[in-house]
This record gives sequence, structure tokens and C-alpha cells, in this order.
Amino acid sequence: MSSTSLIELNNVSKTYSTAAGDFPALKNINLKVGGGEFLGIVGKSGAGKSTLLNMINGVDELTEGEVLVAERADGRKLSIHDMSEDARSLWRGKNMGVIYQSFQLLPMLNLLENIMLPMDLSNNFHPRRSRERAMELLQLVELEEHAQKLPAFISGGQQQRVAIARALANDPLILVADEPTGSLDSLTADHIFDVFEHLVHDQGKTIIMVTHDMGLASRFSRSLTIADGELQNGQDALNFDRTTAGQK
Amino acid sequence: MRPRWRKVLHDLWDNKARTLLVVFSIAVGVFSIGVISGAYQIISNDMSASYAANHPANVELRTENFDDDVLSSIRNQRGVGEAEARRVVNFRVQKTGSEAWVSLDVVAVEDFDENRVNLLVPVSGGVKAEKDEVLLEKDALKKINAAVGDELLFEVSDGMTKKLKVVGIVQDVSTGAGDFLAPPFAYIDMKTLATLRQPELFNRAYVTVAEDQDNIVHIREVGADLKDKLEKNGTTVARTRFSETHKHPMGDTVNAILGILLALGILIVFLSSSLIANTLSALLSQHLRHIGVIKLVGGRKNQVFAMYFTLIMAFGILALMIAIPLGGQGAYGLALFVADTLRFNLLGYRIVPMALLIQIAVGLLVPIIAGLAPVISGSGITVLRALSGDLTGDENKPHKHDDREQVSWFDALLLRLTHMFAARGIHFPRPFIISLRNTFRRRGRLILTLFTLTMGGAIFIAVFNVRVTLHDYVGSIGSYFRADVTLDFDEPYRLREVKQYAMQVDGVQDAEGWQFISIELIYPDGSVAENANVLAPPAESKLVNPLITAGRWIRKDDVRKLAISEAALDPFPDLKPGDALRIKINGREEWWEVVGIFKFVDQEGILAYAPYEYISQVTNLANRSYAFRVVTEQHDRATQEIMAEKLDHYFRSQGFKVRKAESGLSSLDTASESLDTLVIFLLIMAILTAIVGAMGLTGTMGMNVLERTREIGIMRAIGADDRAVMRTVIAEGLVIGFISFVLAIFLSIPFTYALSDIVSTAVFQTPIKVVFTFLGYGIWLGLVLLLSVLGSILPARNAARLTIREVLAYE
Repeated sequence: MSSTSLIELNNVSKTYSTAAGDFPALKNINLKVGGGEFLGIVGKSGAGKSTLLNMINGVDELTEGEVLVAERADGRKLSIHDMSEDARSLWRGKNMGVIYQSFQLLPMLNLLENIMLPMDLSNNFHPRRSRERAMELLQLVELEEHAQKLPAFISGGQQQRVAIARALANDPLILVADEPTGSLDSLTADHIFDVFEHLVHDQGKTIIMVTHDMGLASRFSRSLTIADGELQNGQDALNFDRTTAGQK
Repeated sequence: MRPRWRKVLHDLWDNKARTLLVVFSIAVGVFSIGVISGAYQIISNDMSASYAANHPANVELRTENFDDDVLSSIRNQRGVGEAEARRVVNFRVQKTGSEAWVSLDVVAVEDFDENRVNLLVPVSGGVKAEKDEVLLEKDALKKINAAVGDELLFEVSDGMTKKLKVVGIVQDVSTGAGDFLAPPFAYIDMKTLATLRQPELFNRAYVTVAEDQDNIVHIREVGADLKDKLEKNGTTVARTRFSETHKHPMGDTVNAILGILLALGILIVFLSSSLIANTLSALLSQHLRHIGVIKLVGGRKNQVFAMYFTLIMAFGILALMIAIPLGGQGAYGLALFVADTLRFNLLGYRIVPMALLIQIAVGLLVPIIAGLAPVISGSGITVLRALSGDLTGDENKPHKHDDREQVSWFDALLLRLTHMFAARGIHFPRPFIISLRNTFRRRGRLILTLFTLTMGGAIFIAVFNVRVTLHDYVGSIGSYFRADVTLDFDEPYRLREVKQYAMQVDGVQDAEGWQFISIELIYPDGSVAENANVLAPPAESKLVNPLITAGRWIRKDDVRKLAISEAALDPFPDLKPGDALRIKINGREEWWEVVGIFKFVDQEGILAYAPYEYISQVTNLANRSYAFRVVTEQHDRATQEIMAEKLDHYFRSQGFKVRKAESGLSSLDTASESLDTLVIFLLIMAILTAIVGAMGLTGTMGMNVLERTREIGIMRAIGADDRAVMRTVIAEGLVIGFISFVLAIFLSIPFTYALSDIVSTAVFQTPIKVVFTFLGYGIWLGLVLLLSVLGSILPARNAARLTIREVLAYE
């Protein structure tokens, strides 16, 4: 078991206030994720898995606790919720790729431009280099011949592959994916999984993926179950082993 | 191009209807401001320059007949620069072969080659008339359809007509400038006077001062000296007019009116900015998901802000590309129209740098200011809210607490009303209730739309009220000219004799003799303040119905008493009934009591009334008069014209020396025409505001439909056909239009008062009684309902065209 985690959630809780009263979406979550892991968080609809993912990628605010992520340069832990929303956006753009079930591509930009967008916003690459890199990423997801097409003119599976390529644009260590295969047929979903496994095995990326599909649990290097805002196998959430990453 | 800027470009290009709506909204405001500020600059510069270039007389003296010797003494007077003498006589003129007679002031010029004052500028043909030839001032062409080479018939005192040939059309921007009621001019050589049975003598002197031509005090001093000198030499001066070389007499009035138009232009900009704010707010609302994605992949608030700020700037630049050239043309067009109406020339087409700068500032700043709030709130939105894409509710309201379970006050009210009516057996169609409810769903947007449409409507209605108010005032000015026919003779006749003859003419009811005398009002220091014309009807005359503001009207037994027009308050601001006024009458200084003050058109100078009974003694014309007022059975303009003609012929046939007989209303025509010109300007601005309002409604309906695409899909899925969908959308537009109309009814009241007050002060130098007309309300109701339908049809058609699959798949 590796001693240093890449991501660490300590006592994370999230409560939504509604007209009907307070609703606890996450209850005292503790979780550690090691580098190179392919972590699956499985749960039914409404279990709190997307909320948990939004705590990890900093899209939503937590009510209690902290989310720490190791910095690429020196391994120092950074509490992402201590950052402003703006700083978090920049940090996320550079360090964490995010993939959603609904792809979230900008409809007016072609595939190449969609992938270039994160590089443009974070100024990580020279514009010419960002174009080359976007083409390389499209090649990685085997869509280079569609580079100039708009998202509406390719299939759902292809759009999700473009979303993965966009998530990799700034070469982040971590990818988080919220039901990335939820709207795809099983064959296409298989291809997406192949891509994820390739990223973990060959590029050393860390992927956290949430899904409601219990049958996919076997494909993760580690799998956790969430129900009613609580991780069911609490001790497993803190044990990660890099050597098992992607072995299953 | 970087992807984020490509997105901006796509946002601009992909939704062309929205881009056009925003661009036109900005362009309308920029255009209005450009037209008015440009015209203001051109007119204020060219009006005085053109006037000055014509060497206008600084002093105009209207006198009894004088000759060359007197003219020489005028020229030799200290302080006089140039001096010309002319004879101005009014004639009835007819084009050969035409039936219509028109009234022209014929100016006899001593030497066209030596024209130094009130220059004549050639328009077509020659600029010099020989014996029995005539030049027409180009303004006269509006009254008499003549061209160079045509022959005109001039009616002379014995009833005969004399034929003069038109040899040229000229322009004279100085003579009669600023005189609302002046008839058009024609120019002849002095030698032609004999043909027209007129003595070869002058009755007007036009003088420029040698120095300080823009110093009105100096000009008045020179004028007063001249008047004294003439009167000492036995030449009575009936009236003097003073004007500065570089100040057109109508300059202040035009500037005041342009000021009103500018205020309306600013209002249009203001209204279009609310439309821009509405559209941009909807755009940001539609782009929430895009903003969420940008922020998700690393975009920061300032980057999102910069993208949408650039988009707004692009809207502004596109609007400027449309509005600047059109505004420049419009400004020159407006200036040309004003110049043509007021008889002055422009120095040529040009771009006015100040107007250009104002347009650029308005075109860029207005959308930025209007769009700032939605862009700041849009760019500051959290990723989660942006990605949730919650497009319902007020976009400016955070959705931490979802309280939409509660029924809004309007829905509750609607529900209660629906139940109340249903209990009485009245059932409203369900789609109509949906339309009503939809109308109030986006309250922020509804308020902005209603504001734009209501302002447009209120101005539109107010312009109609102002028009009626102005015409009512001119009509009431007509109450000073209630006689149906004005009959002037070349020599005095006994009152009873003229009345007896007049009653022989069919249709004549009464005739009364009036007197006329010119006086000077004297300041306490002895200097001449102003000239005034005193009209002297019989004290009991029913032909004057004065608008008295203080004191009383004249009485039969008044001796050295007069009622005076409000224009006298200019030189004597504290004047009130009971005050004694020092005047110069028949060369003598006397103290007269002011018994009343009445309203009149101040531009016509100071007018006073005194009883015939006393003035006829002053003029030694007891029971006699040169001027008579005739009352006929019918009072319409056409009958007046016929009766004038009949009386003219009858009196001439009986051996009277008739000078002219004209319809009592004729002098008011020019004033009415000038007011209509002003009303046209106001109406154009009102229509522009209405267009902005209609664009606002179209935009709102478009946005509402877009946001309710899913809802429309559900309606269609449960059986709503195309017509039902369209009806729901159009009914919503009509509800908004009708609410705006009700609000505009109320708002138009203060607008009418404010606009009437400003316009009447500019034109008449006095506030006037406001009159309301149903016409404006009726037209606006029809127009706003039409605009509401038109504004909703396109969005409604778009909604109806969507298939169920499309709308339910809509993101």
C-alpha cells in the first residue's frame, strides 16, 4: 500500500437546503485515491455519487470537511475548496480533466477547437502547439478525420471520445468522469472503457469514475459503493494500492 | 484564431435574428442621436453663416413714403454702413390661366446692380428685373406654381390687372426672416411701380450698421437715431425691426426645437438600451451551459467577461457601421428640410466631427452599460449553476433555495378570478389563461418590455395632443382675426357708407371700421424699448375674442388706455394692469395706462388694442377708416375666399379704391404650416420610439418562445395544433401590448404637458392651454395591437414549426 495519496477527502459533508428542509447529500466522506488508480464509485440514482465527484473536481461547494489534492510539482497537498471559484477553475483546467455523461462540448466549435479550448484558456501552450496537440489527442481517440466537424455531426460515442480528448488537453494527472458511458450503447461504452484503461496503463493517469452500473465494478482497479450519501465500505475507501491499478 | 474568439464570432454570426435585433436596437438610438446632433451642428453654424452672408439689414424701418433725398440722409447718418430703400406693397396675384389668387408682398428695388443689403441670390433665371418684369422669391413657388417665362396678373387699386413676366427665381434669406405670418415676396424694378399704379417712392429702409454688427444695443441706438432723424424730417416711421448680422431671427426657436428632438433622441437611446439589456440578459441566460463548460475546462471569470464584452462591442461596432452613414445623411437631410422651411442655405454636405464622436460614444457605451449587469452576473455564475442550465425563474436571482412550489401572487389571483368567472358560467379558453400566466413569468423582462413600449406609446400619444394643442392655440390666435373678410382701402371712407355698401353683398352680415396706429414704447431713461402696433376696433366689437391673462379688455370710454400683448413683458418684465406706460404716439410722448395683458404670438412683435372711439380722434379720422372687418354668414375658409372676391369686385365697381380684400384666416395658414412641420419632426421621433418598442416586444416574444420550447413540445404532445400554439404566443404579445397601452394613457398626460410647455415656449414664448385628443389614443391602440401581433407572429410561427421530437430533445 502506497503511503502518499494523490487525492484525499477528509470528513466531507454536503447538505442542500430546500423548501422541504435540509437534505444531506453526502455524510462524512473519507476517501484516499492513489496515483495511477482507476477508481470506480458505484451507486444508484440519488445516492450522492455525482455530488461526491463535484466535491472532488471543485465544481460544487462542500458544507464540511476538506478535499486535498497533491500538486504535480512537489507533492504538497492543496485544499481545493480553500481556493476562490476563479482560482479553482484555473487549477482544474490545468490539473484535472472532467468528463460528463452529456459530453458538454460547445456546439459552435469544431472538434479540434473544442479540444484546444482548455489550452487556450489556461495559456499552457502556444496557439500553434495547442493545435498540434489537439490533433494528437484526436488521433489518440481515433477521430482525426473528423477534426473539422461540429459536435452535432458525429455520434454520441464519438462526442464522448472528443470530451475525453478535451479532458486530456492540458495533460492533467487526474480525470474525473460522471457516468461517461451512461448515454451510450454497450459496444460504444466498451470502447470508452478501453480508452480509459489505456490512459491509466500507458499514461499513468488517475481516473475517478462514477456510475450506476454495478456490472462495471470489475473493470475498475478499485471499486467503492455509495448509498444515501455514505460510502458503504468505509475502510476500503482509505486503502489504495497503486500496484493494482488497472490490473483487473 | 483562438477557440474562445471563434466562439464569440459564432455567437455573433450563428443567431442572425438575435444579432440583427440587438444591432438595430443600438443603431436606432445612434441614428437618432446622430441625425439630431448633426443637424443641430449644421443648422446652428449654417443658419447664422448663411444669414450673415446675405448682408442682412441690422435695422429695418417701415415708414410712410419717402424719396431719394431722405435715403441720402439715411446713408449720411453716423453709424450707418450700407442703406437701401425699397417700396413694399401687398398685391393679389394670379398666374395667367389659373383661377387662384395669392397674396404677395411686392418689393420694388431701386437698383438690382447695386444690391448691398438683404442680397438676392439667383436660383434660376436672372437676378435682375427690368420694367414690367418680376422676380419671385423661391418660397413663393409654394403658393403660386410659376416658372421663369410665365406671366403673372397683378390686381391694382382700380380693379384692373397688370401683366408682369417672371424673369427669375431668387432667394432672399433676410427679408421677412422670422416673420411667421409674412406672405411670400416678389421683386420688381422701381420703374414697374407706375404700371402697378404705385408712386415711385420708398416705404422701407434697410440699413446695416458700420461696426459692431452683432451688438444689438449699438444697432438699437443707430436705429433710434435714424428714426428720430426721419421723423424730424417729417417721415413717420411705423415700425422698426432690429437684428444682429450673425443671428438668424428664428435661431433661438430652431435651437429650442432641436433641443426637444435631442431630448427625444436621448430617450430613444435609453429605450433601446433597455431592449439591449433584455436581449443580452436572455443571451447570457441561453449561454449558461456554455459558460459552465468554459469554466469547467479552466476558464476564469475575467476570460468569460472579456468574451461577452467583446461580443457587446461587436454589436456596437456593427450598429455604428449602419447608423453612422445613415445618421450623417439623415442629419443633412433634416438640416436641409429646416433650411428650406425657414429660407436659409446650407454650406454643403459634410460629416460633423462632433456628431460622429457622439455617435461612436453612444454606439459603444450604451450597449456596454446596458449589457454590463447581465455580463457581470453571467460571467460570475458558478460552474454548477451554469451546467444545471436552469433557465426558469429570474436569471438575476440565485437559486440556492428553490421556492417555486409556492404559487405566485399573480397565479393565485388568476386562479381566483378564473374560478369566480367559472362559477358564473364564464369559461376562458385554457390557452388564453396560459398566455396570461406566461406574460408574468419573466417579470424583469416584462417590466423592461413594458417600459419601452409604454414610453413609445406615451410619446406617440403626446405628440398628437401637442399637435392639437398648437393648432388650438393658433385657432385661438385666430380669435383676434374673427372677421371673415379684411377689407383695406387706399383712402379713408365713412363707416356708415362702407357698411351700407357691404350689406348689399349677399351673405354679408356686418361690417365695422378699425383703426391702426404705430407707437413706440419708451424706457424710463428715454430710449426706445420696442415698437408696437395698436389695433383699434370698436370697443364693443365681437370680432376680437382676446386671451386675457391679466386685467381687462378695452372699453368704449377708455382714454389713453390700452390692452397689450405678453410680448411687452420682454422689455418690461414687471408690467401689470394699472401701470402707466410711456409711449410715443404721432411724434408725441404720452403716458398711457395698461388695462390688460393678453396672449399673442410674440414673434409678431408687440400688439396692443385701444378703442376705435379714442384712436379715431388721435388720428383725426372720426367715423372714418382705411380698414374694415366684414362678417359673413358662413365662416369657413372657402366661403371667406369667395366673399373676399365678391366684396373686392363690388366695392371697386362702386368706385372705392380697394387696396386688398382677403380671407380672415389666410394669415394663419403660414403659421399652421410651420407648426405642422414641427409636428412632423416630433412624429418621426415618436415613430422611432414606437419602432424600438415593437423591436423590444419582438425580442421578448422570441426569447420567451425559445425558453419555452420544451413546454411548447409538451403542449403539442398533448394535442395542441399549430394554431393553438400560435394563438398562445400571439395572445401573450397582445396582453403585453394592451397593458402598455393602459400605462401609456396615464404616462402621456405628463408627457403632453411637458412637451406642450417646451414647444409653445420655444415657438410662442409663452405656455399655452393643453388640449387632449382621442385621435392619438385611438391610433396608438390600433398600432400597438398591430405591432404586438406582428411582433409575436414570427416567434409564434417558429414555435409552431417545431416538431415534438425537436422540442422535447431541446437543450
